[in-house]
Amino acid sequence: MTNPPFIADHPPHPDFNAMSDDAFRAVVRDFVENHYPDIPRFAQRRLRWPEVRPWYGVLAQKGWIAPTWPRELGGMGLGAGKHLVLIEEFERFGCARVHDIGTVMLGPLLMEYGTQAQRDHYLPRILRGEDIWAQGYSEPGAGSDLAALRTTAELDGDHWVISGQKTWVTLGADANMAFVLARTDKAAKKQAGISFLLVPTDATGVTVRPIENLEGHAEFCEIFFDAVRIPKANIVGEVNRGWTMAKALLGHERVFIGAPRLSANALSRLEALARGNGAWEDPVFRDRFAGLAMDLADLGDLFETYVQRLRTGASIGADVGILKIFQSELYQRISEELMQVAGSHAGIKLEEGGDSRFDAAGTYLAARPTTIFGGSTEVMRNVLARASLNLPK
Amino acid sequence: MPQQPDDSVENIRMLTESASAVVPGDGSLDRIRAARFQHPGFSRDVWMTLAEMGWLGLRLGEEKGGLALGVHEAMALSRIFGAGLVPEPFLSSLFALSLMEAAKARNWIGSALHGETIVAPAWQSVPNALDPAGGVSVKAGRLHGAKVAVAAGADVFAVTTPEGLALVPCDADGLTIKRMRMHDGTFREDLHFDAIPCEIHECEKVQDCLYEAMLLHAGFLQGTAERAFDITLEYLRLRKQFDAPIGSFQALQHRATEIKVQLELSRAAIDAAASALDGGQTERLSMAILRARSRAGGLGRLVAREAAQMHGAIGFTDEADIGLFVRKLMVEAGQFAPEYQLRAQFMSLREAAA
Repeated sequence: MTNPPFIADHPPHPDFNAMSDDAFRAVVRDFVENHYPDIPRFAQRRLRWPEVRPWYGVLAQKGWIAPTWPRELGGMGLGAGKHLVLIEEFERFGCARVHDIGTVMLGPLLMEYGTQAQRDHYLPRILRGEDIWAQGYSEPGAGSDLAALRTTAELDGDHWVISGQKTWVTLGADANMAFVLARTDKAAKKQAGISFLLVPTDATGVTVRPIENLEGHAEFCEIFFDAVRIPKANIVGEVNRGWTMAKALLGHERVFIGAPRLSANALSRLEALARGNGAWEDPVFRDRFAGLAMDLADLGDLFETYVQRLRTGASIGADVGILKIFQSELYQRISEELMQVAGSHAGIKLEEGGDSRFDAAGTYLAARPTTIFGGSTEVMRNVLARASLNLPK
Repeated sequence: MPQQPDDSVENIRMLTESASAVVPGDGSLDRIRAARFQHPGFSRDVWMTLAEMGWLGLRLGEEKGGLALGVHEAMALSRIFGAGLVPEPFLSSLFALSLMEAAKARNWIGSALHGETIVAPAWQSVPNALDPAGGVSVKAGRLHGAKVAVAAGADVFAVTTPEGLALVPCDADGLTIKRMRMHDGTFREDLHFDAIPCEIHECEKVQDCLYEAMLLHAGFLQGTAERAFDITLEYLRLRKQFDAPIGSFQALQHRATEIKVQLELSRAAIDAAASALDGGQTERLSMAILRARSRAGGLGRLVAREAAQMHGAIGFTDEADIGLFVRKLMVEAGQFAPEYQLRAQFMSLREAAA
C-alpha cells in the first residue's frame, strides 16, 4: 500500500530566515489564502488521510511540506522564529493539520542517526506523500513508563521477526509505515535492550484496529504484530540503542506543544461565548477571564524566550517541560471555564460541519489528551524535579 | 521581544559585580537580621554607599547628575536587592525621584542623589488601590488629607495630588506621622496633612512613574522569591525523614516544579515588560506591567507558603533564615494593589485596546 507521489514543482527556496518576520508572514498569508484547497477549515478533529490529502499535495508541490528540514534535503530550512510565523498563519486561516509524523519525527531522526541509504530512500518518499508514517511507542503496559515495553524483535537470518502490540498510535489506520520501539535484548536493563525498527503496515502479520475516542473519532489505533518479518536493514542506529534516539525526538516537539496557540484559540472561544450569553458583564466572570488572559499572555512571553534560545542555538534541556506543563494545564482550565459558562448547553455534541466557534464540549475534550501525550504532566514534573531542580531520586 | 542591546548586557554585568558593596557575596544575612525593628529599619551608612555608587540616579538623565540607564539595568539591581532582602528604601527613592524629575521639581534632587536627603513617594490614599490622586486636596496653596504606607526614614515626601506633585519636608508644620512596624523589620508611615503650605508642580507622568515603579518592584519580589526557593530546594535535598531526603518524595517534587513554572513565567513577563519600556513601546505596555506585577505577587505568595510548609517546624522559628524571606514576602507582595485590582485594570485596558 503506497500513495501516488506528489511531484515538487517550484523554483529553489530563498533563504526565508533572511527575510523580516513581517515579509515572511505576508508571503505565507498570501499563499494560504490563494492555495488552500476545498477542505474543512478550523476542524475540531484531525482530518483523515483522504480528507487532508489535497492540502498535503499543495504543500508538497510547493516544497513546503517539511518547514524545518534543510533546504538541500527538500525542506524550507526555517529557523524556530520563522517556523512559528508559519504555524501562526496556518492557524489563523484554520488550515487542517496534515499527517506530519514523517516530517516532524522520523525525518529529523534519519538525518541524525540513519544510514545514507535510509536517508536517500525514505526522505524523498515523505516529501512526496508516498509514505505516511505512524509512531509505535506506547503499549498497553507501557505508557508513561515507556521503557517497560514488551514488543520483541529477534533476528532470524536476514530478517527481524516482530511480535507484540502497540497502542495509541495516532492516525495509525492512515499510515503505510510505522516506526516501532521493540525489545531486542531481553537480558539487558530496561532501557538498554531497545531498538528502533521501520515496519510496513501491509507486511504479513500486521493488524491495525481503530479505537474510538471520547470525541467519537477513530484517531487512535492499536497495531498487532504476529511474527512480522522485516528486512534486517530496517533498523535505525545500532541494535539496542533505540531508547536514546526515541527520547531525543521528544525534546524539540515539546517546545511546540508548549506554543500558546491552543490556549489562544480556546480563549477566543470563551470570549465569544461569554459575550453572546451575558457572562461577559458579570464581574466575577470578568475576574476569572482576566486571570486566564494574563496567564495566556505570560505564556506567550515565556514561549518567546524559548524560541529566542532555539534561534541562537542554545539548548533548553529539561526546562522545556515547563512550557508543555503550563500550556496544557492552561488549555484545560480555559476549556473548563467554557463548560461552566455554557451552562446547560455545555454537553452539546456539535453536528459535523456545525459552527465550532462556541463549541465548549469539543474544546473540553480536545484539551484532555494534551496533559497526557508527549509525556504526561506527572512524568514531566518528575523529570523537571530531578533534571532541573536537582532533587534526589 | 527585542534583544537587549550589548551595552545594556555589559552595564548589567558591571552593576551585578559592584552590588557586593551592599549585598554580601557570601549571602550573609547578618546585617539584615540585626537591623530589624529598629527605626528606621535600615542603615544610613549603606544609604550613602548606594548614593556613592550612583545607583539612586540610575534612571535620571545625565544633565541632572543621573546615570540615564535603562529599566533592564535597574531591574538587575532590584532583583539582587530582593534576593539580599535589602531594607534600604531604594525602589521607593527611584519612584520619588522619577516623579520629581517628571514634575520638574528640582529642589531636592541634588541632595537626594548625594544621599543627604532621602525622598519617599506618598502616592497611595488607601492601602489597596492604585490611586495616586486620591486622599488629598490642595486649597489656596495648602495641602489637606492623608496618604498611607509610605516608606519610613524619609526626609522629604513626594506627595501626589490631583493638581500635581507637592514636596513636603518631614518636619513641616501640620504634618502628623503615624509610624507602623512591619513584619520584615522595616517601618511604614501613614501621613496626615493639615493645611500645609506647599508649591504644586504639575506632573502629567504620574501614571508612567507609578507603572515603572510597579514593574521594578516585581523584579524585587522575584529576586526574593527565587532565593527563598533556592534555600528551600537545598533543604529538600538535605533534610531526611523516613530514611530518605524529603526532596525525593513525589508530592513535594511536584509542588516544587509548580514554583519553578511560576518563577519562569514571572521572569519572562518581567523581562518582556522591561524590554517594551526600554524600547519605547507604548502599545500594551501598561497591560504587560500589570501582568508582570500580578505574576510576581502570586509567585511571592506561593513561595512564602511553600517555603514555610516545606521547612516544617524549623521554618516557623525566628532563628531560621527562611523566616526572613517569608516575612519579607508577606510585606512586599501586598505593595501597590491587590491582584484582583490589577486584573480589573488589565480588563479595562484590554477592552480599550480591542
